[in-house]
Amino acid sequence: MKQEMSDPVMAFDGNELWTIHYRVFRYKRSSGKPHYDKFNVEIAPHETVLDGLEKIWAFQDRSLTFRHACHHASCGSCGIRVNGVEKLPCIVPIREVTRDGGTVLCEPLRNFPLVSDLVVDLGQFYRRLEEAHFQIIRSSEPIERDEHESSNVHTRFENCIECGLCVSACPVSGTDGLYFGPAALAASWRMIQEPRGVDPLSVRSNADQEHGCWRCHVAFECSEVCPSNVDPAAAIMALRQDLLKRKLLRLFQRGDHDRA
Amino acid sequence: MQSQRGGGGLWLLQALTGLSLIVLLGLHMIAQHFLVEGGLRTYQDVLAYIANPVVFILEVIFLLIVVPHAFLGLRAVLLDLGPSPRTTRILDGVLIVVAAATTIYGIALFIVLQGRV
Amino acid sequence: MTEHEERRVRKTLAWLDMAGRKAGTWAFLLNRLTGLGLLLYLLLHLGVLSLLAMGEMQWDAFIALARSPLFLVLDVVLIFGILYHGLNGIRVALVGMGIGVRWQKGIFWTLMGLGVLLLAITGWLVFTM
Repeated sequence: MKQEMSDPVMAFDGNELWTIHYRVFRYKRSSGKPHYDKFNVEIAPHETVLDGLEKIWAFQDRSLTFRHACHHASCGSCGIRVNGVEKLPCIVPIREVTRDGGTVLCEPLRNFPLVSDLVVDLGQFYRRLEEAHFQIIRSSEPIERDEHESSNVHTRFENCIECGLCVSACPVSGTDGLYFGPAALAASWRMIQEPRGVDPLSVRSNADQEHGCWRCHVAFECSEVCPSNVDPAAAIMALRQDLLKRKLLRLFQRGDHDRA
Repeated sequence: MQSQRGGGGLWLLQALTGLSLIVLLGLHMIAQHFLVEGGLRTYQDVLAYIANPVVFILEVIFLLIVVPHAFLGLRAVLLDLGPSPRTTRILDGVLIVVAAATTIYGIALFIVLQGRV
Repeated sequence: MTEHEERRVRKTLAWLDMAGRKAGTWAFLLNRLTGLGLLLYLLLHLGVLSLLAMGEMQWDAFIALARSPLFLVLDVVLIFGILYHGLNGIRVALVGMGIGVRWQKGIFWTLMGLGVLLLAITGWLVFTM
């Protein structure tokens, strides 16, 4: 066993099981006060935090609610806080957050209305993305382009998976319920960069509000937790710079309103 | 005008007053402690200090910049208490009045002291 | 307390929710706390200056008090507040305008290093000058 540990490939023992204490946030509208439940789970260190939650649901408590779908960080529905930090539990192996006999704390995302246990209401979050005109619009049908070109033009990698981790980590979203939040502002910047038929001026004027991009306080927590490297904080800064430049230009070219 | 209010305008004002305060506060501190031999210690020191017209202008500019910065900052903190739009308007009014009163008080004090030089 | 008020209190306390947060939120929290402290100091400072208007005796009596060790310690606390708020403010203003976004972490820690140095120097000056 000791010898095998030196080789990372040999050290992987598919049968090794750890005993992990899950401390899970519980809340049901009908039963009032939120509390934490403890579950002991036998789980392999390479299995994920989400695997553990599913074991709890399957073998210990059918009333535990949590969201999940794809299990590979592309649907963005399972976002929770693991040991306090916003993560997609579907891609976090147990060994990354604890050790054998250790505790894993699972809590719902902050700054969203709580629905049940680990499930929060993302309704307003999605609405704000819509207000940022965030959408994927085909600029033209693939058939009109030759094959070589279309592989470049239509491989549109929209990296935001709309998981809400950034809003949960953002200290401003914590106190200012009207703040648009990192995801919606990053989406605004995305639409300005590549409007696809959307009027960039309306995207700009939507972001250019007191509770819009100006409310950010440069904590960069959103970019710290983003599971798909959207870097919302940098997008907000780019958005501001763009708006400031336009304000300055307008100051010098009075009456001559420049177009996007 | 509409887009200026509450938009980038206030943010930019806070950033620019903040950056200029770094210079002004530095000058304020250096002038207080090094312009008069041994720093401002007695009543007479202060009168001698304020008699300098450059100092007087510097202190007034400092006051004119620090007060808006301080009250805009307070406003940002108070907005986190989630006031309604109506309460926010009242709050803005109160903050403007208090900030103006603070500025007038400060300048009046300078003028009174200058009168004694 | 109504449910609405309770939610408002909870939101305000979110200010202090540090679980899982990194340096950015600490920077934000400390910026606000020092900001509020400096506002309070500004008002006290202006208030105390009215002693000047009252006359020489009142002012010189106050200065004697202000030179006591306790006040000197408070001076260092004040300098800490000014240095932190000012230096972090440089980052918030510049990065907030889109300048140095990619290096913002380095900018922050460099400014904080500078702050520690300046605090040490000014602290030494406060007690020796």
